[in-house]
Amino acid sequence: MSRYLLVLVFSISVPLVLSFYPKLNFYRRPKALFLSLGAVTLIYGLWDVLAVFRGHWWFSDSGVWRLRIINLPLEEILFFPVITFCCIFTWEALKYLKHRIK
Amino acid sequence: MKEYTILAAISVLIAVGLDIVSGIRLLRRKDYYFFLVIIFGFKLLVNGYLTSKIVIYNPRFFLGLRLFTIPLEDFLFGFSMITIALVIWEYFNRPSMRKA
Repeated sequence: MSRYLLVLVFSISVPLVLSFYPKLNFYRRPKALFLSLGAVTLIYGLWDVLAVFRGHWWFSDSGVWRLRIINLPLEEILFFPVITFCCIFTWEALKYLKHRIK
Repeated sequence: MKEYTILAAISVLIAVGLDIVSGIRLLRRKDYYFFLVIIFGFKLLVNGYLTSKIVIYNPRFFLGLRLFTIPLEDFLFGFSMITIALVIWEYFNRPSMRKA
């Protein structure tokens, strides 16, 4: 596993497991989840393609697999749905905790 | 030209605009700023690692200001990405909020 992929697995592990906590009811709106992850991946993925094309940034060969989609490592594309998922989970978890405390 | 800086600034304007136009107005909510502080902590860890070992930035295209290893522009990138994600999430969650 590449180091970048390890970072992603590490990031999503706890949110993914806790998202199934029944009282959180995290999957009540699959459409909202899908649209949010999809839109961010598409928009920021295109930005990323443009940025790599222009040479704004690039990736260390020792950190990512060789596989490229257009000009992005697979890990870089996965970054968008993974991190967005973590953020939406955190947002919902905070809402839930606030509700519980009240 | 500092292309990354410019694009990152534009992305913030778009995110703020989307928040207003959609009527979600996350940026008016204290809870949202609390959430951003929490995410900021995670970002320092994850982005800090990525920008120190895996992603290399061309100094021609960003200001060169970094917090630890993270370029200033990455914070704008992250802010707009998270805000757009949550505006969409909240927007398509509204019917259930009305029911509640």
